[in-house]
Amino acid sequence: MEKLLQINHLSKTFGKNEVLKDIDFTVNRGDVISIIGASGSGKSTLLRCINLLETPTSGEILFHEKNVADRKVKAHEYRSHVGMVFQSFNLFSNMTVLQNCMVGQMKVLRKSKEEAKQTALYYLEKVGMAPYINAKPRQISGGQKQRVAIARALAMNPEVLLFDEPTSALDPEMVGEVLSVMQDLAKEGMTMLVVTHEMAFARDVSTRVVYMNEGVICEQGSPEELFGNPQKQETKDFLARFRNN
Amino acid sequence: MDKLIQLCQDVAKLWGKYGESYITGMQNTLILAVSATLIGCIIGFVCGVLNTIPCSPGDTLIKRFFVKLVRALVRIYVEVFRGTPMVLQAVFIFYGLPYFTDNAVQFRGSEGIWIAALLVVSINTGAYMAESVRGGIISIDPGQTEGAKAIGMTHVQTMTNVILPQALRNILPQIGNNFIINLKDTSVMFIIGFTEFFATHKSVAGATFKYFPSAALEMVGYLCMTLLASFLLRWVEKKLDGDSSYELVQVDALTMSAGTYNHPDKGSPFDERSKEHGKKGGK
Repeated sequence: MEKLLQINHLSKTFGKNEVLKDIDFTVNRGDVISIIGASGSGKSTLLRCINLLETPTSGEILFHEKNVADRKVKAHEYRSHVGMVFQSFNLFSNMTVLQNCMVGQMKVLRKSKEEAKQTALYYLEKVGMAPYINAKPRQISGGQKQRVAIARALAMNPEVLLFDEPTSALDPEMVGEVLSVMQDLAKEGMTMLVVTHEMAFARDVSTRVVYMNEGVICEQGSPEELFGNPQKQETKDFLARFRNN
Repeated sequence: MDKLIQLCQDVAKLWGKYGESYITGMQNTLILAVSATLIGCIIGFVCGVLNTIPCSPGDTLIKRFFVKLVRALVRIYVEVFRGTPMVLQAVFIFYGLPYFTDNAVQFRGSEGIWIAALLVVSINTGAYMAESVRGGIISIDPGQTEGAKAIGMTHVQTMTNVILPQALRNILPQIGNNFIINLKDTSVMFIIGFTEFFATHKSVAGATFKYFPSAALEMVGYLCMTLLASFLLRWVEKKLDGDSSYELVQVDALTMSAGTYNHPDKGSPFDERSKEHGKKGGK
């Protein structure tokens, strides 16, 4: 198994607040990792650190053995290999659906307009949004926006896709359409890191589940291990709260 | 009623005799206001962008120093030109530059006056626009910046492709405001001998002593110009907003053009790459 990302002793503090404490973590190609945990446990910060949207306070992030947390590394070049899907979609509101999926390819990957369009259309069709290419983000629903956001990330041909609570801002009836797109991606062998509250997704789709609590990785393992036979008391408590809901 | 009729007659007389002067004045006012607003917008955008260069404590000392320096310079520029009357700025620059350069730089002839007037009004508009643009940029949801960064865009690419187009739309009403203010306030340029619309009034009234009829004519003239400007700006805003509806694209036409034609028996291109389809094909 090829090691894609390795995180060593990663810490992040906001002022005096220590959000991530000495995180060690490895992502292999083809992994589908769900990161679960209570709000404020540092899941999103971990993901944002991996994409360098937050600068880690200390520690290393090795991408193909190269430390990208080093200031000499150009963050924007690294980010073009790592896709990110946000809770609030963050589609460019001045562009149509199609332009949203083309602009990165043209400006960052320097592809021709025609080539960018072909790729954009391919992925938009894949997420079922091809008929809406001329719509502006404000004209489509939340679930549709998130599917476009996934297509936009895929069009950059990333090596790993990060999902930051992709279904948390959606109405319940739209969660399914986004999850099914993600499930299909996982089946195709896309490497994915998913911060989520969807326990069913974590249990059924992921290859590994990571439970975070108060800025540390409390427990991790296969979905069967973690959901079937959690070792730590915190994990048991957290999962029990979800079962009660 | 008699007075009104008399006024109309006086205005008509003035127009008959000096109509051309009034029109030339209006033309000069319009040209100066339009070009100064455009140049001012460019200055404002540059200042607004310079003011929003990201700077974190993690950056090198040199970078932080330059960012702080640029911000301070922009701040001084904005405060000085926003905080003094334009009529005084005109005098200051028109007479100040020759004074300081021992007449090496002079605004000679009508061309010189044009350049001086354009310079003063542009710089003044720029100072106001710098703050509008800064406001326009910080009003854009930070998520837009994150979305752009996440697909690997640099700061400059993020600005030019994502943030500035949205900021421009948001500050368009402010640009309109500035344009209308410029239409009227270019009148203070008579102080350096610029012959715009109001200067025409001064010379016509001076020659005919018909102060009030000329002023009435000017009032109507200015109002026409500003109303036209408001109307045009609203139209531009609507254009920029684009259609409120969109057309669904026929999937068939689309897939043909994308080279991924899907057939019911073959399934979608999605299926072709998924494992399940592979199994089916293997049978």
